[in-house]
Amino acid sequence: MAHATSLQYEPVAEIGGGAYGTVYKARDIESGQFVALKSVRVQTDQNGLPLSTVREVALLRRLEQFDHPNVVRLMDVCATQRSDQETKVTLVFEHVDQDLKTYLERAPTAGLSPGHIKDLMRQLLCGLAFLHSNRVIHRDLKPENILVTSKGQVKLADFGLARIYSCHMALTPVVVTLWYRPPEVLLQSSYATPVDMWSTGCIFAEMFRRKPLFRGESEVDQLGKIFEVIGLAPEEEWPTDVTLSRKNFPPVLPQPITDFVPEINEQGAKLLQEMLTFDPFKRISALNALEHPYFKEEEKLTQTKS
Amino acid sequence: MARTSFCDSKPLLDLHKKADERRAPFRSLANVYGPVDRWQPVDVGLQETRITSVKMETDHRWERRLSAQKNEGILLGIHEDSRTRSAAAGCVEEPVLLHPFSLQGLHSLQALVPGLLRHEVELALEKLDLIWDRTYAWDIFLEMMRTQTQNSFPNADLPRHFTDATRAILVDWLIQVHELMSFQEETLYLTIHLLNRSLHHIKVATANLQLLGMVCLFIAAKKEECLLPEVSALCYLMDHTYTKHQLLRMERKVLCGLEFNLTHCSPLHFLILLASIARCSAKVVWMARYLLELSLLEGECVAFLPVQLAGAALCLSRRLLKEPPTPEGEAAWCLASSINVGSETALLRIMHILATAAAKAHSRETCATFLKFSSPETMNVSRHPELSNAPSLLGICT
Repeated sequence: MAHATSLQYEPVAEIGGGAYGTVYKARDIESGQFVALKSVRVQTDQNGLPLSTVREVALLRRLEQFDHPNVVRLMDVCATQRSDQETKVTLVFEHVDQDLKTYLERAPTAGLSPGHIKDLMRQLLCGLAFLHSNRVIHRDLKPENILVTSKGQVKLADFGLARIYSCHMALTPVVVTLWYRPPEVLLQSSYATPVDMWSTGCIFAEMFRRKPLFRGESEVDQLGKIFEVIGLAPEEEWPTDVTLSRKNFPPVLPQPITDFVPEINEQGAKLLQEMLTFDPFKRISALNALEHPYFKEEEKLTQTKS
Repeated sequence: MARTSFCDSKPLLDLHKKADERRAPFRSLANVYGPVDRWQPVDVGLQETRITSVKMETDHRWERRLSAQKNEGILLGIHEDSRTRSAAAGCVEEPVLLHPFSLQGLHSLQALVPGLLRHEVELALEKLDLIWDRTYAWDIFLEMMRTQTQNSFPNADLPRHFTDATRAILVDWLIQVHELMSFQEETLYLTIHLLNRSLHHIKVATANLQLLGMVCLFIAAKKEECLLPEVSALCYLMDHTYTKHQLLRMERKVLCGLEFNLTHCSPLHFLILLASIARCSAKVVWMARYLLELSLLEGECVAFLPVQLAGAALCLSRRLLKEPPTPEGEAAWCLASSINVGSETALLRIMHILATAAAKAHSRETCATFLKFSSPETMNVSRHPELSNAPSLLGICT
């Protein structure tokens, strides 16, 4: 049970110093199963666990009841007091050995087949549509937190943690990759579920390219690299509440996306473009992306086959 | 799953079904939504195979569900499977809507739910401002029905050292604290739900029961309220019997013991929904709210589903107030009651409990709810003269 997390789980290895703290691979002593332990220290005042932590963890538990196939399982949660000011909240997730980053690295030299990419994308979007319909934004979608099981099942991890960890994050100087960040986040404008769709577009392109699409070194550099592909956004789409002016960027024109992702087919390129749309309001949603003709094509193919 | 704790009625559910089997059909909930041309038959004849086959399908079920959400048309169920219905034949009391998530004919739900009810549920949810997009209304309602069964109690048993009387005293005290804090009504229902669950999951010494109750209220407030009370104020309300440190330790114990699962589908939501569908008058609703809150004090009510408690409270309220019937009102009431079709025995049992409780409420030691609902703001419902006759109205000898 949750009361004795340290007793029930035996640490095996440190598997990452994620943005939000150390992650351990551990073994559930009872079942022998491997789990991923993610701990976060939250500041507690005289009123106990912060309201935000209680709500966020309760939300993760609530999502867990749906048992969605494309979302990583949250198996246990535990809170232990470390001192008067600090409580450690440990989240116990199922452990999946492989993330999309290593999956792409391990792929044969010819790359993944178009059908395989479509399957991965469909699963990714299913998981995302599920989170979004439950009003959860991932906020940090990247190949490292998209897990792929040995059977090829895609599982989203680390969603919704941003808010639980937020107070901790302020204290840790962490390097977070900018490569999957949408323009509105880079410009520090307000954002919502479309942020994840931008990241999904970047990942979609990366599945073909097997290297990231936009590799910026700073916020401005990242935006510059984005505009080199999608063209400088028109004045009327530029958010009004940001400090960075549109004038800082050269007036480049959009380039055909197939120049950067040559292996993609016509419908795939259309979908990718709808994901890599500057204006978050015009960007395609996860639900609509699943309805895109790109995913319909395969069905037609299999139907004619059978 | 709920079980009625009296033995003379037929079982509401087949209690021999294993939990896994009962849960399995929800795995295929998506099938309910599947457009006809996408429907994939699932072998319902063999439970074992079905579970595995559904599992293998998991990758696509959500997708099907999602794509179907955009499908405008109401699907007419042609998926009814005669084998599953005959399997259910032994269960005469099978409530139709309570079981979309249970074993039988999940996919046939669309056939069994009249379009009118679906429409009314959607309208009511929208009117009550419980949803922001009608596309998801029916899904949300099904989700409410499912959530309540997931978080229900197998029985009304209490820990050994804890009697129904002590429980009632604790709940009554929590109702008073809740009122003092001017919290929302949802918070009270969540508090008592967390208390019931804690009593099942956590070992607590009798001396700490008050502390446990207070911590449940505190956690419920953290989940539902905008303004939180200070821990020191809570300790003051408990006469400083416990220290702040003890309270915070109990908070961790409860949250860990419940594994942070604070989900609850409150009977109050069902009551408001049913009342809206049935076009009940304000007085009927206040009376039903009073009766529903009385159910919190009754240990036996723990084992009933929220939708049953709400249905029974509303039904008893109507019978007590005897408002002149209108054809529209009766039709609306019929439609609202159809949600509880099949659980009549349970509803009758709850009505008996509530009628008995309401008749004695004024003379009981635990009278916080009685006082709360005697105010003019609540239309003085708890002082309604008909309440003393409530048991005889139902034919119970007093």
